[in-house]
Amino acid sequence: MELAAFWDLILTGLLRGGFYALMALGLALVLGVMNVSHFAHGEFYMVGAYAAYFAHTAFGLNPLLAILMAGLIGFAIGALVEKVVICSLRKRTKEDWVMNTFLLTVGISFVFINSAKLIWGARFRGVAHYWEGTIYLSEGLRISIDRGAGFLIAIAAIALTWFFLNRTQLGRAIRAVAQDEIGAMLVGINLDRMNTLTFALSSLLAGIAGGSLLSINAAYPYMGLRPSNRSWYVVMLVGLGNVGGAIMGGFIVGIVETLSYYFLGAGWQDVASLLILVLILLFKPSGIFGTEVKGVLER
Amino acid sequence: MQETEHDQAISTWNRVFSRLRPIGISPQFLLVVAMLAIAPLFINDEYILHLMVVSLLYGSQAIAFDFTAGFINVVNFGLAAFVGIGAYTSALLVVRLGASPWIGFAVGTLAAALLGFITGLLTLRLRGLYAAVMAWFVGLALMALTAAFTDLTRGYLGLSVPLFLKTIEMRPYFYILLPITILTYVVLRAVTNSHIGLAFKAIGQNLRAARVSGVDPTKYRVLNFTLSCAVCGMLGVFYAHFVGILTPDVMATAHTVEVLALSYVGGRGTLWGGLLAAFLVIPTFEYLKPLMEIRLILYGVLLILVMILYPAGLAGILQRVGELLKRRLWRG
Repeated sequence: MELAAFWDLILTGLLRGGFYALMALGLALVLGVMNVSHFAHGEFYMVGAYAAYFAHTAFGLNPLLAILMAGLIGFAIGALVEKVVICSLRKRTKEDWVMNTFLLTVGISFVFINSAKLIWGARFRGVAHYWEGTIYLSEGLRISIDRGAGFLIAIAAIALTWFFLNRTQLGRAIRAVAQDEIGAMLVGINLDRMNTLTFALSSLLAGIAGGSLLSINAAYPYMGLRPSNRSWYVVMLVGLGNVGGAIMGGFIVGIVETLSYYFLGAGWQDVASLLILVLILLFKPSGIFGTEVKGVLER
Repeated sequence: MQETEHDQAISTWNRVFSRLRPIGISPQFLLVVAMLAIAPLFINDEYILHLMVVSLLYGSQAIAFDFTAGFINVVNFGLAAFVGIGAYTSALLVVRLGASPWIGFAVGTLAAALLGFITGLLTLRLRGLYAAVMAWFVGLALMALTAAFTDLTRGYLGLSVPLFLKTIEMRPYFYILLPITILTYVVLRAVTNSHIGLAFKAIGQNLRAARVSGVDPTKYRVLNFTLSCAVCGMLGVFYAHFVGILTPDVMATAHTVEVLALSYVGGRGTLWGGLLAAFLVIPTFEYLKPLMEIRLILYGVLLILVMILYPAGLAGILQRVGELLKRRLWRG
């Protein structure tokens, strides 16, 4: 294999990894803070893609605004879903919370996918490109501006989230809930509000991911399945609810997947990544950066 | 005097059924089986018969699903893939090697059981959520493999599979599937009513307590999972030779979710709840044509509503009604 081809693969992996990191970050937040095993994460990615599509084509917004719009709509719908559905379950469920949220979000996912299919039909709605042209990096190594921009947006969103969680009052409150729910409540943090905010924030990240990749992955009712299972893969690999690990893990999985796809082809690539995960979980059930997060590990 | 006769009759009745109850054969069970067995004889509409076969097929899958979810509290989120492996094993045997579909039953069931055993062994040490997600990954990987091996499986082009019978009439298919369902129910019920079933429940309810009482959770979980997967494989074989065409879509997560929804709507931990839900939900959707469009949305909504409002499901409602009636009768 030529060196240029190798770097090309690594670059593809990195770009893919940025996207996985963005998706996995949102999922890890929901897992770590709310202890909700969120199966419908990919559906917010889908919502973001549709939002960006209509914002860009129907309302003629410029790409950056369209992507922002995707995030905001993700945020709003996420907040709504949390308030209406997940919060109601929390008020009623006493035991077996983790599994119940899994089943509940499976239901949410089904409703989202099939509503999208009903409203917009099972056809692809994409844009050819947000920005035309490619970026020349070196001999045989070039990427389209869209991919580069998508990657930068993902990195920016991750960085902003990181800043928000570590440097702002609200972000610290969210982290406090993740560490100790009762303690957080005792110092006067409104748990319900933090849960809604976390879920909405996670949906915002997924929405941005969906919006910024619209020119690569066209909006389609079932498009969320793959991002959903990839982000689950990442969080299981690094340890459920480990937010920092999820970002790292996203990049690792992006690169490994691109390489194994190149060498093994579709089909076996899935098997290989599954085997890697099985082996890691067999020897280190809490994941590679395993931190114990409340209620997620075998008790 | 009359009262003693009455009592005697009741005690004979009870004695007979106390023998049969451990394997799930109760008066209600016999009534339902009789109804199911006789009904097709009076129905000549192929469409209704088709609906009955489909309901029975989904209901049986829901039984297998509930055997795992309702008892050891492990959600087999790759259920459709185990159905698919049974279907493809038998189909490939028949198409590529010219075996009879009836041999396919044995081999397909075994293949699904073996895969379930391996999956269980590797993932069921982990906590419930991990096991569910891992089963999902196994399902996705299998689906990807099936789609990739176009030489063998023809992938998304679809593999056409010979049917069980020369006829395309529905009634015979119903009578092939019904014994399978009954057998499934009786065997799984017998297991859950035995001491193994007690261990299952202990694991499902309180893992630590179960472990302290000397129950090895992994062993029982794997046993349970393998059995459930074997049933799925068997139903998959039926599916293959009933529908006549296979694509990797049989393994799609959406199918798992449909079965899962039926099972939870029916009532977890009952086995029969899912079967009841299938016979109520599937024909209802078919008959109300406008609902057909939003069928899958309704599955999702039903699942959400059951999870939030009434986790006991249809079975819970029925049991409550039954108890009320019993109390009335006793008093009268």
